[in-house]
Amino acid sequence: MASEGHLSPIKGAKVLMVGAGGIGCELLKTLALSGFQDIHIIDMDTIEVSNLNRQFLFRQSHVGQSKAKVARDAVLNFRPGMSITPHHANVKDPEFNVDFFKQFNVVLNGLDNLDARRHVNRLCLAADVPLVESGTTGFLGQVTVHIKGKTECYECQPKPAPKTYPVCTITSTPSKFVHCIVWAKDLLFAKLFGDKNQENDLNVRSSDATNSSEQAKDVFERRKDEDIGQYGRRIYDHVFVALTDAFSSVSAMASLGLKNPQDKWSLLESTRVFLEALKQFFLKREKEIGNLSFDKDDQLAVEFVTAAANIRAASFGIPLHSLFEAKGIAGNIVHAVATTNAIIAGLIVIEAIKVLQKDTDNYRCGSYLFRMTYCLEHVSRKMLLMPVEPYEPNKSCYVCSETPLLLEINTHRSKLRDFVEKIVKAKLGMNFPLIMHGSNLLYEVGDDLDEDMVANYAANLEKVLSELPSPVNSGTRLTVEDLQQELVCSINIKHRMLLNFHSFWGWGVFIPLQICSDEFDEEKEPDGMVLTGWTQAPAVVGNGGSTSNARQAEAEKDTEVDEISEPSGKKRKLSEVDIPNAADGTGNHKEVKELDDDDDDEIW
Amino acid sequence: MSGIARGRLAEERKAWRKNHPHGFVAKPETLPDGSVNLMVWHCTIPGKAGTDWEGGYYPLTLHFSEDYPSKPPKCKFPQGFFHPNVYPSGTVCLSILNEDSGWRPAITVKQILVGIQDLLDQPNPADPAQTEGYHLFIQDTVEYKRRVRQQAKQYPSLI
Repeated sequence: MASEGHLSPIKGAKVLMVGAGGIGCELLKTLALSGFQDIHIIDMDTIEVSNLNRQFLFRQSHVGQSKAKVARDAVLNFRPGMSITPHHANVKDPEFNVDFFKQFNVVLNGLDNLDARRHVNRLCLAADVPLVESGTTGFLGQVTVHIKGKTECYECQPKPAPKTYPVCTITSTPSKFVHCIVWAKDLLFAKLFGDKNQENDLNVRSSDATNSSEQAKDVFERRKDEDIGQYGRRIYDHVFVALTDAFSSVSAMASLGLKNPQDKWSLLESTRVFLEALKQFFLKREKEIGNLSFDKDDQLAVEFVTAAANIRAASFGIPLHSLFEAKGIAGNIVHAVATTNAIIAGLIVIEAIKVLQKDTDNYRCGSYLFRMTYCLEHVSRKMLLMPVEPYEPNKSCYVCSETPLLLEINTHRSKLRDFVEKIVKAKLGMNFPLIMHGSNLLYEVGDDLDEDMVANYAANLEKVLSELPSPVNSGTRLTVEDLQQELVCSINIKHRMLLNFHSFWGWGVFIPLQICSDEFDEEKEPDGMVLTGWTQAPAVVGNGGSTSNARQAEAEKDTEVDEISEPSGKKRKLSEVDIPNAADGTGNHKEVKELDDDDDDEIW
Repeated sequence: MSGIARGRLAEERKAWRKNHPHGFVAKPETLPDGSVNLMVWHCTIPGKAGTDWEGGYYPLTLHFSEDYPSKPPKCKFPQGFFHPNVYPSGTVCLSILNEDSGWRPAITVKQILVGIQDLLDQPNPADPAQTEGYHLFIQDTVEYKRRVRQQAKQYPSLI
């Protein structure tokens, strides 16, 4: 099929494939059938049963084995002459350094997380090797080409951040089902079964300010010798009943069998599941309570979250969802489509061939052969595959240009640890940072450091910025480098105070949204830091213990802007919300009690 | 300070952390207040095996200037270090460390330290820097070797 002109650069090319999963399997197969001879594969994963429906190089007997190695063997079966070198390892391992990357003519990404993509992007820039980057989400996908100095790098443009929701939307004014899921998962579940010391916005709700001694007692704590059933009812009343005035209208719903996860439960069924799940946690998994965090593969946790989210959705007139749907939302699951992966893999190979030809044809900047391609779910402009001309590099990109960033931070309050964790690691995506103030090293990390230095840097981590050995103040320029990524960032520091609402106004009081210009709005900037001049990218995947309880990565490409808490008439003032006071019962308003009784009839 | 010196020193630091010759130590100076200064590096050079210098781990300090890497770092052993090419102050006299002769900005910290290790057992009599070491090296080989072995014992391994 391919002409002579195509074949010679292909045969001579040395290719690095990062990822041997959904896209990777298709890619390796297509590369092999296109005539590529020398391929290295890096993948740290082992094969799981759930991969087998789309990762066609793998079979049941391979479960548990290295993806990179099995993929190699599978392809060698039909292309025995090829040279395929598998690396069962993390692409972030130090052995895959700039020199390693330099040996390749092109790097092809089939990755599943942002962190690794950014890492590979930085190494490709440092090694000056073209990168063909890809991704799929359900029916959607894209292939982009990144060539240093010619096209934008992977980090030149903002990436859709995992969606976060204003706390008050979650605690008081949910309008979508996902708000209820976030509430059930990140607030209620964490409150009941997670670490009690974790900050949690369910804490601060108390309707009874007069009874301060009882207020101290946690409503969510199971009292000594309290019957589990009663405890469950009490929690139920506390979190749902006070909010609900529509309860009686749905009381007559017929009971459905709860076997099918595709079924939407009625409010009654949800209520039963809620109470039953809570009971099971205490009866069968008591030891885990206090340490649990939500896991989409934990059936009981999913049941609990589905039930709680549905009850809450019912209270706010939001449509109900099945367990299957709720699990998808809570676990950010998007069902992978094998065909999309195959299409994307084909496009990667087309772009890779163009990149390789460029090497031989005296390529000139300005006339782009390459293109980005978006794979769409619905026909747009009569196209399902949308070609886009690559963009020029972003001159203010902190990764591929040398433009400094600006960080506004409270230098008297924030510790070096906050800077390292929330800015350098989470936002800049560095793994082994070196932080320098002029010629002073403030921080390094790595196994190679000796004990004295480790102890010294550990002590620095706990110091606030303005009290470091070489103090970081307004006007300071910090330089941050990574040991392995060959990336250097300059960060100009600007001192700014944190505006703390809660110290000015008690909870339950209406919060005005007037912010002094040089103070942080804690609702918008929970970290008390603002980093500008960079492409906004989401935090590293998997850091569950982040600052926002109400964080939710939404898979859909939803362009809606996060709404900021707005003191509209819809917003419930917390002080007005009737919450039965669990400590002594005196907080129960009369109508709440009546609702309570009605529900009892339904439930028990 | 000049960004060039800082940037280069950061590169040197990273390169050293990733890979360095066995037995050598090189790290920026840590002051009592916890600050780590990239302009001064405390190093250890192991005496080469099979020579009279074997068994010694010789402390060396590199002082980098704002003009680094246009200018070489000043390399100092402890005061009174016994070697024909080491000044009484401890400063090492070596062509690659001389701005006017052998220094090139591309020379790395690793090359400097390995170069000084070579110099230990291969002194350059054409370029003496101290009287005692030079005279013994030229006139009394037996005593010279004894002094070298004695000095090796004076700097045992710290590990």
